[in-house]
Amino acid sequence: MSKASRALGTANAVSARLAMARLVIRLQHLELHKFVVYFAAILVFVFFAIVLRDDGFLTFQNLLTIGRQSAPIAVMAVGMAFALASAEIDLSIGSVAALTSLVAAQFLGSNGFFIGVVVALLVGAGVGFVNGVIAVKVRIPSFLVTLGMMTIVSGVARNLNDLQSLPIRNDMFTTVFGSGSVGPVSSLLIWTAVIGLLGHFTLHHLRWGRHVLSVGADRNAANALGISTDRIRITALMVSASAAAFAGILLAGRLAIGRHDLGESLLLTVIAAVVIGGTNLFGGRASVVGAVVGSVVMAMLDNGLILMGLRVSEQLIARGAIIILAVALSMREQKES
Amino acid sequence: MKNIQTKTAIQMTAKRRHRTSWLLVALLAVLGLLAAACGSDSSSTTTTTTAAPTTTAAAPTPTEAPTTTAAAPTTTAAPATTAAPATTAAPAPPPMRPITQGPGGEEAVAASEISLSTAEISEVQAGNYTAALLWHTSGAFTEAVSKGARDAFAELGIEVVAETDAAFDAAQQANDVATVLAQNPDIIISLAIGPDAGAAAFRPAVEAGVSLVFLSNVPAGYVHGQDYVGIVTDDLAAMGITAADLLADALGGTGEVGYIFHDAAYYVTNQRDQAFKAWIENNYPDISIVAEQGLADPSAAEEIAAAMLVRNPNLDGIYTPWAAGPADGVLAALRAAGASDVAVVTMDLDTNVSLDMVEGGNMVGIAADEAYNLGRTMALEGAYGVLGKAAPPFVIVPAIGVTADNIVEGYRNSLSAEPPQIVLDALNS
Repeated sequence: MSKASRALGTANAVSARLAMARLVIRLQHLELHKFVVYFAAILVFVFFAIVLRDDGFLTFQNLLTIGRQSAPIAVMAVGMAFALASAEIDLSIGSVAALTSLVAAQFLGSNGFFIGVVVALLVGAGVGFVNGVIAVKVRIPSFLVTLGMMTIVSGVARNLNDLQSLPIRNDMFTTVFGSGSVGPVSSLLIWTAVIGLLGHFTLHHLRWGRHVLSVGADRNAANALGISTDRIRITALMVSASAAAFAGILLAGRLAIGRHDLGESLLLTVIAAVVIGGTNLFGGRASVVGAVVGSVVMAMLDNGLILMGLRVSEQLIARGAIIILAVALSMREQKES
Repeated sequence: MKNIQTKTAIQMTAKRRHRTSWLLVALLAVLGLLAAACGSDSSSTTTTTTAAPTTTAAAPTPTEAPTTTAAAPTTTAAPATTAAPATTAAPAPPPMRPITQGPGGEEAVAASEISLSTAEISEVQAGNYTAALLWHTSGAFTEAVSKGARDAFAELGIEVVAETDAAFDAAQQANDVATVLAQNPDIIISLAIGPDAGAAAFRPAVEAGVSLVFLSNVPAGYVHGQDYVGIVTDDLAAMGITAADLLADALGGTGEVGYIFHDAAYYVTNQRDQAFKAWIENNYPDISIVAEQGLADPSAAEEIAAAMLVRNPNLDGIYTPWAAGPADGVLAALRAAGASDVAVVTMDLDTNVSLDMVEGGNMVGIAADEAYNLGRTMALEGAYGVLGKAAPPFVIVPAIGVTADNIVEGYRNSLSAEPPQIVLDALNS
């Protein structure tokens, strides 16, 4: 072999290695953790589509059911993503959703559609404000403040209608927030998309959203940069509770009732959805779109495991195992990126 | 230098890919296991939880008053012949009727037999006794039981010094017992959350000489007349039978039914669910239960019902174990699917299901109990305790079948209350 051809071979090898290095750098820039939730969604979907091919999983009605059932989880998850992004957590979202479902039902009956919705949202925002002010001004971790608020709100909800369901017979409300659709698309899916896009735009394209991430990443540094960290933390918790209030409205619209425990059990599902979606539990990094997709994964798991005919105990085990794996995958990628 | 960096980057990438692939493999393995587990998916839907006590099918008794037993955790399958249509010359034997049985196999006594004479009432009134109500949860049912007990205690001059809600937490119930003992109540009426946990929780009360009256369940090892005064409960099997009859009536005795049962070892719901199923299977040969699914979280009922409809598009009816929560979810799923012709039955009165029934929705019937009467009877048994009068070990109150036609009467008999205004408005519109 001539010197020239050897030199050419070496040059080729070097350029191949450089190309590989560039690919690696590109992959690192891709931040794979952001895509774990999409892989999980595809994997779970394909798995159920194959296993349940004869059991109606892929029917339009069933896919619509999954979408409808993921809507309140997704809306709460968007709010929770803001709380987590600012290095706070909101444990009161489940009870806020329950309370606002009752408040909406109550005011719809007496004051009509608009007042019912607005009052319910204000109640949510109010709870979030109180959470934020106590956490910031009294310097109590939001974990403890919202834990206490969770039981307070739950107690208030239980008192509102003597533990009875409050039926909603306002067609406009149940159509807009539950049974209605635009063409084949359920109104619940539209609300999910609207809230998801709004959340994504706010977090990543507005200054306030970037400040939320900065405060969550390093509060002292954010302070030094002149960001009002107190205001950011309070407003992040207000967004979280307001989203929960809106989820309560969606639950009320879907079920056509207000109840003291509607959505109370969704808290852990929401946290799992947000973390699978690529949001850091300890602040500084969040993905609203990931949280929405994570919610769909959670709803798909519930739906598929029921359709598989598993007993409740088996469903719980399978669901827990899959959540742990998905979260592990997501968090590992986060650490490595 | 660049080469070293490139090499390191490649190694890191390979390492990361390696780790990631392991996790993906693990995820796939779990999903694979699931696939294996669901190999018999259709058959697994027909199994029931092993932990759940099940209703015993027994030969019909000469009287309507059910006999009793709570502890038998086995299912006696009804002979197929009992369900066969009467096409042979010989008349088919009557279907096997599920019966409610007490924890120790005690025979049930009707609540109407519990009473106090005028002299006994005077004696109790003069005693300045006190009572505590330690509930397992709170809701419309416990509210009505509590109201019945409070009314009866008031008539007897017994002061209620405490009322608690353990939120289905046995540890919390133990705390509640210890706390109220500081007030030295003479009577405690309660539902013990779990026989074993209840045994420890109520032991201090037994040792303090408190007259204990239990709702539905009894702590393990407790001796009637020595550790507790008596047990009062619904006729749980009759409630299941009533729900089955209501659904069968609505379906005209034929159709495909989905059965959602409470997937937890909880005596009350297990007895009712099993009785419903046994009575449908034994008494209605043309009604088939084509889908079964356990329910642990009431908020999952909507998903379960939606899945049932996907797998069984010809479903004619659904049984759901109770109203507040599960039945609400089932109704929402049916509305979303536009399945207005699927009949639903459930247990216990609640506003939403009552309204749906009155408005001619999916709900066709509700099996209820006399909750208020339960509370009154428990209070009377408490008075038996302080008087030293022997009470029957196991007392039951009857079941009520409520439809749109008798809903006002149903509310009065069950909860000693008028239906909610929204239901009355719908009834009168």
